[in-house]
Amino acid sequence: MKNSHAQTGLDRTVAPPLLPIEHIQFVAPESSTLKNGAPLYWRYGLQNQTSKIELHFAAGSAFPDPLTASLCAGLLINGSKNRNAKQIQKALDSLGAYYDVSLGQDNCVVSLYALNSQLLKAYQIFHESLFEAQFAQKEIDQLVHERKQKFKIQAQKVNFLAQRLFQRNLLAGSVYAQQIQLKDFDRADRAAIQAFHVTHYLNGLQKVLLIGDFDQNIITSFIHLLNAYKMFEGKRLPFTWKPDLGAIHHEHPGALQSAVRIGRPLFNKTHPDFIAFSVLNTIFGDYFGSRLMSNIREDKGYTYGIGSHIVENQQFGYFVIGTEVGEASRTATFHEIQYEMERLQKELVPQEELELVKSYLLGQLLKSADGPYAMLDLFANVEVHGLDLHFYETYITEIKAVSAEKLQELAVKYLNWGEMLIISAG
Amino acid sequence: MIQFERFTLANGLRVLFHNEPSTPMAVANVLYDVGARDENPNQTGFAHLFEHLMFGGSKHIPDFDAPLQAAGGQSNAFTSNDITNYYDVLPAHNLDTALWLESDRMLSLAFTPKSLEVQRQVVIEEFKQRYLNQPYGDAWLHLRPLAYKKHPYRWATIGKNIEHIETATMDDVRAFFAQHYHPGNAILCIVGNFDLNFVKEKVDYYFGNIPGKEKIIRNLPQEPKQQRFRKKIISRKIPSDAFYYAFPMGGRMDASYYLADLLSDHIANEKTGLLYTELQRKKKLVSEITAYITGSLDNGLFVITGKLNPGRTFEQLDAALWQTLDKYTSRPISKSVLEELLLKMQTAKAFQDQGLLNRAMNLCFFELLGDAQFLNEEADHYARIQPAQLQHFAKAIFSKNRCSLLQIQAK
Repeated sequence: MKNSHAQTGLDRTVAPPLLPIEHIQFVAPESSTLKNGAPLYWRYGLQNQTSKIELHFAAGSAFPDPLTASLCAGLLINGSKNRNAKQIQKALDSLGAYYDVSLGQDNCVVSLYALNSQLLKAYQIFHESLFEAQFAQKEIDQLVHERKQKFKIQAQKVNFLAQRLFQRNLLAGSVYAQQIQLKDFDRADRAAIQAFHVTHYLNGLQKVLLIGDFDQNIITSFIHLLNAYKMFEGKRLPFTWKPDLGAIHHEHPGALQSAVRIGRPLFNKTHPDFIAFSVLNTIFGDYFGSRLMSNIREDKGYTYGIGSHIVENQQFGYFVIGTEVGEASRTATFHEIQYEMERLQKELVPQEELELVKSYLLGQLLKSADGPYAMLDLFANVEVHGLDLHFYETYITEIKAVSAEKLQELAVKYLNWGEMLIISAG
Repeated sequence: MIQFERFTLANGLRVLFHNEPSTPMAVANVLYDVGARDENPNQTGFAHLFEHLMFGGSKHIPDFDAPLQAAGGQSNAFTSNDITNYYDVLPAHNLDTALWLESDRMLSLAFTPKSLEVQRQVVIEEFKQRYLNQPYGDAWLHLRPLAYKKHPYRWATIGKNIEHIETATMDDVRAFFAQHYHPGNAILCIVGNFDLNFVKEKVDYYFGNIPGKEKIIRNLPQEPKQQRFRKKIISRKIPSDAFYYAFPMGGRMDASYYLADLLSDHIANEKTGLLYTELQRKKKLVSEITAYITGSLDNGLFVITGKLNPGRTFEQLDAALWQTLDKYTSRPISKSVLEELLLKMQTAKAFQDQGLLNRAMNLCFFELLGDAQFLNEEADHYARIQPAQLQHFAKAIFSKNRCSLLQIQAK
């Protein structure tokens, strides 16, 4: 018999030997400075014909008026002096291009995708639209109406309610706590949107990321167009916060599950504890085998999923646990979360678990560095904090070195149940 | 063009290999030819519940995920009405770990009562989270049995109702495994920087001695041709009224699939599509509207769905929608518009094909359809479409007598 156990020597109870990741190559993009002072980062050497340009603007929703920021982002590519919204869209369609406008709290990222033979042509149309954005009253009215309807639907979701309540309380005292309310939609103001467009887009460029195989003439043409923006020189968002910690339950009649958010202020990549805490966070709640998943999903079956994350902004970071649990299991879930925090404070993480998480994190980093798109994202994720790719070399070294004692120390410092903001909606 | 190699083991396992020299990662994707359509009408939701159990430990390995994570990888799976698909993404030098894990759970599961009890609860919470505790979340639980009367597509992958999941027994679990989980019912695809002989050797080593079984020939009740308009109205606590128009279309291998796909893209196009320009902007009847196809292996559905503006009625929308569709079918689209649609599709595909996992899943899926090479022939099918064909198809599919309409009224 071919392939019998005896012949192949396969013992299924024995795991194959594992090889460590020897080396990850981090490649910085080409960089140049636009006339306006903003950096342009360019990655080439793709295996295919795809390309993308990504413009980062200081136009986030934490700037004074979130409604204005949101409507301005929504109407950016919606008509120029000579072409209406439909004509702009048709022109982009004819090149097979598509785009995406992503509004964050700190900034707004506008991305345009196309085959590399079409990207410059598509960007020319895009550029015209962005520069000559009209913000016609009837387009504003239409968008406000659509957003209002969407908002009403969102407001029925316990997840949305818990997330908003969490952010409002955690970020209390800062500009990041401001949120759009339903009634705000009725005071949409065209002049404010136009002014925001000038200050935060035309004069708000922070950086440009370009990816694709282009010859130098094409790059020059992009640079020529991009030089038209002014770099953002406005004030950095002021940041101080006075989190309102404690426990709040928002009653949502008829809900079958409660959405839960539990967290506390933390830090971003610039803090010396960031990398070691990332290991602790992974063990606690940030992978499928985490303490929270193993206990609350895989042992108790209280939820479809539970996780913890470090959320980073330019000037701060926070730690958050999120889940949706059956109404009957809400209190029990809180109990188990507290238990898992305290277990990390009282007991050292076993060596086997620690080694597993270290290998897992390095494997995930290898994946995050796979290919030009992923590598440019890795770069952008550190650049925003004023760091460079050297961060990842440090990350690898620190992860390999971090001890169970160090993790316990961090758990004592940062994972105290009594210092958490505890939100539920259901 | 995605190049691949194919070989079949003696036990019937079909294997595809796609070499990608530029990546340090590898993918092992396993597609099982079983989905919700293969369930007993009195035990729905089982294929999906079973997918959860596949992570609860196998015959020789108590925990599926931990060894993969220790190898720097991760895994997940999904169940549809047609298939169940499992994947592992890990550093290429640890490929063995993925093959070891996948082959052991193809050989046999651990079948612990604890795993069944817990996953039953997890799936019930998933049912609540995705279908019951979301506005409009249960729409498809009502639309499916309206549009399908005979075919098992009449229930969703999560199941007809929670009771079916609550009453699943250990014997049911064992029987389901025995019937559907064996080499002849699976397709494995490996993607990474490997040599074909290396892949052959490894796959044979881990999967070669799993006993083969006869593949059961599927014999599903086919949906009779719909003759009359169907309508169902339900009331929910939601902010706006919603509507779902479902039209029967062919299966994934039917030549009309490409027409339906292109047609849905065209009428639902953002800012320029007819649904948006006529019904949302000009007549201001809806706050959102779109169209899509289910893309199922057996006869599928072409769906037009949206939400009414406050003060507008279902009757107003209905009249205007049929008028719009009539207008659309009255003349063929221009050659240049057709070319734009194709270029957009080609661009989107170039971006999708970048992902290793996407390539692995697609190769398995097209192999299930008959030949992984079909993946590379898709673009030609679209390119051959003529404007008159699209018009003819649109006229045929938008038929009131063959329409199923679900309306969700705000309470």
